[in-house]
Amino acid sequence: MTTSTFQTRPRLTPALTAAGALLATLAIAAALLALGGYSPGEAFAALLRGAFGSWDRFVSFTLVRATPLLLTGLAVAFAFKARVWNIGAEGQLHAGALAAVAVAVALPGTPGLVLIPATLLAAAMAGALWASVPAAMKTGMGVGEVITTLLMNFVALFAAQFLVQGPLRESRGVFNQTDEIPAAAHLPDLVPGTRLHIGFLIGILIAVAMWLYLTRTPGGFRLRAVGASPRAAEVSGRFRARPVVWLAFLASGAIAGLAGGVQIAGITHRMYEGLSPGWGYTAIAVALLARLNPLAVVVTAIVFGALSAGGGAMQRDAGVPEVWVRGIEALVILAVLTVDRSWQALAGRGSRG
Amino acid sequence: MNHHLPGITALTLVAALACGGDAPASDDTPTNDPTPGVALLTPGPVSDAGWNAGAYEGLQRIGDSLGIRISHQQTLTPAEFDEAFISYADAGYGLIFGHGFEYQDAASRVAAEYPEVTFVISGGSRPSANVVALIFQLNEASYLAGMAAGAVTQSGIVGMVGGVEIPTAKGTFVAFEAGVKAVRGDATVLETFIGSWDNVSAAKEAAAAQLREGADVLIHNVDAASFAFFQSVREARERGRVAWAFGMNRDQNGVAPDVIVGSAVIDYTGMFLQTAEAWRDGTLGSEPVYSGLATGTVEFVPNPEQEGLIPADALELIDRARQGIIAGTLEVPSIDFIEAEDPVSSL
Repeated sequence: MTTSTFQTRPRLTPALTAAGALLATLAIAAALLALGGYSPGEAFAALLRGAFGSWDRFVSFTLVRATPLLLTGLAVAFAFKARVWNIGAEGQLHAGALAAVAVAVALPGTPGLVLIPATLLAAAMAGALWASVPAAMKTGMGVGEVITTLLMNFVALFAAQFLVQGPLRESRGVFNQTDEIPAAAHLPDLVPGTRLHIGFLIGILIAVAMWLYLTRTPGGFRLRAVGASPRAAEVSGRFRARPVVWLAFLASGAIAGLAGGVQIAGITHRMYEGLSPGWGYTAIAVALLARLNPLAVVVTAIVFGALSAGGGAMQRDAGVPEVWVRGIEALVILAVLTVDRSWQALAGRGSRG
Repeated sequence: MNHHLPGITALTLVAALACGGDAPASDDTPTNDPTPGVALLTPGPVSDAGWNAGAYEGLQRIGDSLGIRISHQQTLTPAEFDEAFISYADAGYGLIFGHGFEYQDAASRVAAEYPEVTFVISGGSRPSANVVALIFQLNEASYLAGMAAGAVTQSGIVGMVGGVEIPTAKGTFVAFEAGVKAVRGDATVLETFIGSWDNVSAAKEAAAAQLREGADVLIHNVDAASFAFFQSVREARERGRVAWAFGMNRDQNGVAPDVIVGSAVIDYTGMFLQTAEAWRDGTLGSEPVYSGLATGTVEFVPNPEQEGLIPADALELIDRARQGIIAGTLEVPSIDFIEAEDPVSSL
């Protein structure tokens, strides 16, 4: 893999990528749907209606679904930028969600102005803590983080299952879920009258801050330098790679943990066993598609959010079963990545020679 | 720096175009059908030959016999529940089934804003004006199955392999245990919950472990993992052991006719149809709807291929117990999980 793979030169690419992939996928998906006996026209109309059908649909469904993808996508992008292959956003998200519930439930009667920041801070810290294990193993023992972060996901999922069935189980001890967090801990609405909470805004702010950090600060320069070549960065003698790697792990874990906290405080208000359908994994596609550019992650997260909101509508309005919907979603992701690669090759010809 | 912005702007435009282009066709009530439709949310695939399949069949029966439009969505995470409820309510569905206790919170949140829509939650725990709990009293049939198990066991050790430890599942086991002990007071009853409805290897392991402990009759309450459970019993028998199993939820007698004594069955299909008819007739109300031996939607069905396995005197006892349960003179143990009036939706 050449270093230019993750260079930040999007220009028009996100738009063209999305449009091209959409067309390619439409054709394949339409053929498949027709083969399966479903009406492609009806299915796609439902998809668009579900994702963009009205202002309320767009805000309440698409943006709500985009929020965890936005945060985990940013988490992945930041780590990858430093060449830290954090595959563990899913586990960090679960750690964050558990910490958020534990803190919010433990502090009833606390005003929201204190409780909400405390809840989200706990989530971010838990995510960072979860990421610190692979970070220590990488910097201390040279253990590759692809394996460790991935394995930490399973630990987190099983820990969540155990806690929800045991120590954190709701106080009446009936169902495998935690108690509901107090109303003061619920995130306020971002757009009144919709389901969109300020978690989305938090995501946008982090995206902007991350972009500023990466492009405008010496720290961001160091991170990108380490990402481009850790050895070269060390050899240059100006700074050491290790603190940068730690920063990448901790910040990435904190943002992924925050995603879990935001989901709890904004939407579900309690922890269940099946909290995430794999946002931490989809986040990798979200981040790569955005070329690790934090601002572009906002766009790709919304695209993926639209896809998943539209998928629900495909089931409801066009009778397409869930497995088909997921198959088509996967097709879209594949198509997007393929078109992205070919466009990149095209665009890169001039600069790479 | 600013060369990122055109890309983002352009994609936003694409999105806006897609949005605007579709707008004329996209009022949220796709049809002007005056009859509200019936919708179903399931937490798993309707191909599971169990919990979800039964509900889906029920939905189809509703469509066929009431002649109204139906729709189904499989949901993955709690974040989708509200969205699905809102979408169906907006699209003119008047009766929405959420097939699992996990839909309770979302239904409570959404129901307050759609007073004209009825939400029916299978295993629901917080009824309110338009949120109805559908309670399957499978424990009644489990009790009868337990009596049969007590009559069939030779070792006097009986095992139970459950999925996730939720009240409805737990309830079938406390009833099964009571049934066993009603027939054989000195019996030992083992219990394992594997933490999943469809973890095949865990179900098989749990069954094998109980068989090793001397159990010779096992009942399960898992979903897609039941096939592995039966396989475990079959393998024990191949090793020369005496081993029998019970089917659960649906009539599984045909699934493993060589090892099954009988099945504790819920007729989801009939249950959903009855509920939808009551809704159409305006008699559904907001009280929990119970489904048991008395309503004919829960039953213990002995395996016809193993006639004679359950001794005749035991069958007679079982029949007497059935009458007692229907008449209300015999109370089967259960796990209660209905809360008082839901404070959220009564705001």
